[in-house]
Amino acid sequence: MCIMRQGHKEELMEFSEHIKTANVEDVVLHQPLHPPSRGTLCITGHHLLFSDREENSTRQILLLLRNIDAIEKSVENLLGYSSLFSKADYSKRISGSSGTITVKCKDLRVLQLDIPGMEQCLNIAHSIETLSCLNDVSEMYPFFYRPSDLSSQDQWGLSSSEKYYSEHKELHKRWRLSSVNRDYSVCPSYPPAVIVPKDIDDDTLKKVAKFRQSGRFPVLCYYHRKNGMVIMRGGQPLTGANRKRCREDELLLQAVIDSSDKGYIIDTRSSQQVQQARMTGGGFESKSSYSCWKRLHRQMEKGKALQESLIKLVEACGDESQNMDRWLSKLENSKWLSHVQTALSTAGLLAECVERDGHSVLVHGSEGTDCTLLVSTLAQLIMDPCCRTLEGFLALLEREWVQAGHPFQLRCAHSAYSHVRLQQESPVFLLLLDCVWQLWRQFPLALGFSEALLLRLATEAYFSNYGTFLCNNDQERCALGVKEKTYCLFHSLLKPTEKEHYTNPLYEPTDLAIWPSVHPQSLQLWRGFFLRWTPQTRHLEEAQEEIRNMVIEWGKVALS
Amino acid sequence: MEFAELIKTPRVDGVVLHRPFLPTVEGTLCLTGHHLILSSRQDNTEELWLLHSNIDSIEKRFVGSLGSIIVKCKDLRVIQLDIPGMEECLNIASSIEALSTLDSVSLMYPFFYRPMFEVIEDGWNSFLPEDAFKDLESMTDEWRLSEVNKDFSVCPSYPPLVAVPKDIDDETLRKVATFRHGGRFPVLSYYHKKNGMVMMRAGQPLTGTNGRRCKEDEKLINATLRPGKRGYIIDTRTINVAQQAKARGGGIESEANYPQWRRIHKAIERSNVLQESLIKLVEACNDQSHNMDRWLSKLEASNWQTHVKEILTTACLAAQCIDREGASVLVHGTEGTDTTLQVTSLAQIILDPSCRTIRGFQGLVEREWLQAGHPFQQRCAQSAYSNSKPRQEAPVFLLFLDCVWQILRQFPCSFEFSESYLVLLFEHAYASQFGTFLGNSAAERAKLSLPEKTVSLWSWVNRHQEIERLTNPLFEANSLVIWPSVAPQSLLLWEGVFLRWNRSSKCLDEAYEEMVHIIEYNKELQNKVNSLRRQLAQLETEDPLLQTP
Repeated sequence: MCIMRQGHKEELMEFSEHIKTANVEDVVLHQPLHPPSRGTLCITGHHLLFSDREENSTRQILLLLRNIDAIEKSVENLLGYSSLFSKADYSKRISGSSGTITVKCKDLRVLQLDIPGMEQCLNIAHSIETLSCLNDVSEMYPFFYRPSDLSSQDQWGLSSSEKYYSEHKELHKRWRLSSVNRDYSVCPSYPPAVIVPKDIDDDTLKKVAKFRQSGRFPVLCYYHRKNGMVIMRGGQPLTGANRKRCREDELLLQAVIDSSDKGYIIDTRSSQQVQQARMTGGGFESKSSYSCWKRLHRQMEKGKALQESLIKLVEACGDESQNMDRWLSKLENSKWLSHVQTALSTAGLLAECVERDGHSVLVHGSEGTDCTLLVSTLAQLIMDPCCRTLEGFLALLEREWVQAGHPFQLRCAHSAYSHVRLQQESPVFLLLLDCVWQLWRQFPLALGFSEALLLRLATEAYFSNYGTFLCNNDQERCALGVKEKTYCLFHSLLKPTEKEHYTNPLYEPTDLAIWPSVHPQSLQLWRGFFLRWTPQTRHLEEAQEEIRNMVIEWGKVALS
Repeated sequence: MEFAELIKTPRVDGVVLHRPFLPTVEGTLCLTGHHLILSSRQDNTEELWLLHSNIDSIEKRFVGSLGSIIVKCKDLRVIQLDIPGMEECLNIASSIEALSTLDSVSLMYPFFYRPMFEVIEDGWNSFLPEDAFKDLESMTDEWRLSEVNKDFSVCPSYPPLVAVPKDIDDETLRKVATFRHGGRFPVLSYYHKKNGMVMMRAGQPLTGTNGRRCKEDEKLINATLRPGKRGYIIDTRTINVAQQAKARGGGIESEANYPQWRRIHKAIERSNVLQESLIKLVEACNDQSHNMDRWLSKLEASNWQTHVKEILTTACLAAQCIDREGASVLVHGTEGTDTTLQVTSLAQIILDPSCRTIRGFQGLVEREWLQAGHPFQQRCAQSAYSNSKPRQEAPVFLLFLDCVWQILRQFPCSFEFSESYLVLLFEHAYASQFGTFLGNSAAERAKLSLPEKTVSLWSWVNRHQEIERLTNPLFEANSLVIWPSVAPQSLLLWEGVFLRWNRSSKCLDEAYEEMVHIIEYNKELQNKVNSLRRQLAQLETEDPLLQTP
């Protein structure tokens, strides 16, 4: 139990009320890719621990309860129905009642636990159900996790608007760093510092914030060094049914471009959707008020539709009917690959506007916290070689997702197996990782990180020892003291021991933009993630491991 | 020359060539009896040399006096030639049409091709049945090599030498041949060293509607069973199809007459259905609509992946009977020249590590496809773009290669060869300068004197440079049986063939090169380390001072 260390004791105290049965012996664990094993099951405040009792092997499985998406239990009190069973069956199970808990995890693994004793089984199931979906963030494991190899003195995070601004001196002529949001009062989901046009003062920003959904006034998120064009993102303008205008908003956008130039607005909704949005107070930038800006609409799914797509896809991947037609139609019905295609082609469009046409672009949808970030992140990967290194990519995620206010807590509360009624769950971040994987597959040399990193991030966003993906925005993280009380995932990934694993051995930096093919034929199911727990994927993992070892060995030999 | 009359315009200047993902080339187009050549006459620009036999179909388009010919190749590539001058364009087009569909085998290019390389080992002699039998003899004495078919009279599609049970004499074989479709009496296809079980293949039994039986046939296949053991007959047709075959003189091994054998029916599609499937698949792959749903439904509607899955499943079943159940197996469908060979050859890939080497795989193709009488000439006459009515065409061999690729993908370290080897075999089965895939059987090849008049593909492949190109850098000999996953989720579209010309492979190729480079450098350094260690050890023994610190 070395992994839990000091946190262990306090945990037990706080969560003991939810744990009626902490230990059960003689439990049989079935998990993918392994033969069943018998051992002891232990439930703590944050973990499910299974230790193999068999001789010669001390296998332990430690599962964060937060990783558990859903459980199914079936209990049989066999004594009551003993006559239904054959003699052999009866004598084998005479010892009493038993139960089975099927544990479905957010990393898409499915485990089964056979637990002797009906009561124990029910107790365990109850504990898992309660502890796996605790709502209080401050009770979550990252607040208890104390790794021995990271010091809490370490700086939290890799990047910020301030850092980005100071690294891009070219920005300084026309852009400034504003701390109008230092107390999060102007825009609760923005970080304290943001980059805005130099000519726009804080008062104007405050007015613009009132005109944009959730106060998300347009801010700079990317500066294209090659031609000085920028990507901005924001929330939708709140024009409403009577086409309200906001001079300050128009002024802000005008300040982004030269008077003679024009810019593009990429709206991640269809033109029909934006018309409807006006009825609920939202809207779009009209041609008459924003004459220098050209609007482009690309409809991207989000929210519930995306979550349902994931559920269908995972269901299809688990289908055991051995029927090719069924698999292919289920894959098609899930629409997941269509979402991948749309995301990549919208990002491609954005990058084209900036890199090829040489125009600045503003991206938004409704809130500007989901599809907007998906598109702006992918476009930066396409255009900017700095984002394609391991550190660069993590810094990009920190700026464009963590600090830009993607509500991780809401979006990643549940994954594909949950029976709970959907609220705000949506696999937007997972979709991003899938798109990055497609890029990685099409440009195996251009990205400095490995598929293993994407797989790791795909799980860390849902459950983690680290505080990085906790909460929904910077303000919430600040209120809970996340940066003081938890550890930063990104720093941990960059430790020399870990870094090796997440580096692409074939990486060869290129300064060119990497334009992904978005032909449906070019996009593939991310098997490494969605079919991770099937045997064939394991052979591939072994092969990749082989390559990796070889490269590491090579590095060592070359050094000595 | 005979071809001259078919070529009205042998040369056109100012022709522009468009190829996917490559810059356009302007140059001179030349037609010869066997090639379409486009040369820009500049250094550093690649010339196009296309075998007429590689051309599946062409389309002509005219804009004013500028004509375009769209050339669709059997290797699935599509190129466009812009030809100034309507008459020239029409002449070229009609020449290509005529030259790409020559019926006479003896006019084909392999008979005219002279190798530009030194033939070190003549591929025609590399895989003789008698040599393969020597290996078998070292493992068992239960089989003999029969010459009953030495003049191809007993079974026209068999080679002159076949391995049969020792106790069965040639007289019996002749009788059995009359009872099996195409004279294809059961012969040895594979001997499983681990447990002495065997796999045989044959044509269907000709029981007909009145349930004819043949004692000799029963005797032959029973002779392959150990005392008290049962065997499995894997019929690649559904039970319904097999029953219907009786009306046309075919049939099945009835339980009453073959009590020691258990029949299993599997449904593997053949002939026209497969050809249509290929046509649909290639059409789907070339779809430019950018619509994900449309692509996935077209992929599904082509049924190609289903065929891959069915074949692999049946091959796994055969392998399982032999390795896991410890039983011998007889495989057949109708003729025993198509689906039967897919199953027997894939089962060997699964069971036998030696088939997963470059040379071993050649041996397998030679034994189980060429000598076993797969009618390559008929099956590969047309590919996915042909407009003419399909006759005997069917991508049976391509499906086999696709299945091998699926296993290769699932076991990336267990094969000595890389994907390019499979792509190479696909290309050469459809159009080649080598004689290997000409003709439909050993008898036809002998009649055409191919070994004397043409060069074998193996002569070219088994040279150092080619072997190097085809070697899988990740290979680590694996002596185990490898069980592929046949779950639909595990099977992928073979991009290397079907999307080869629809995507730029530049980045993928670069990554592959880089990987090869790393692995080679690694080996080099490892050798260096070893030699330094040896030097150090030597110094230590020579210098007693170093020994005692």
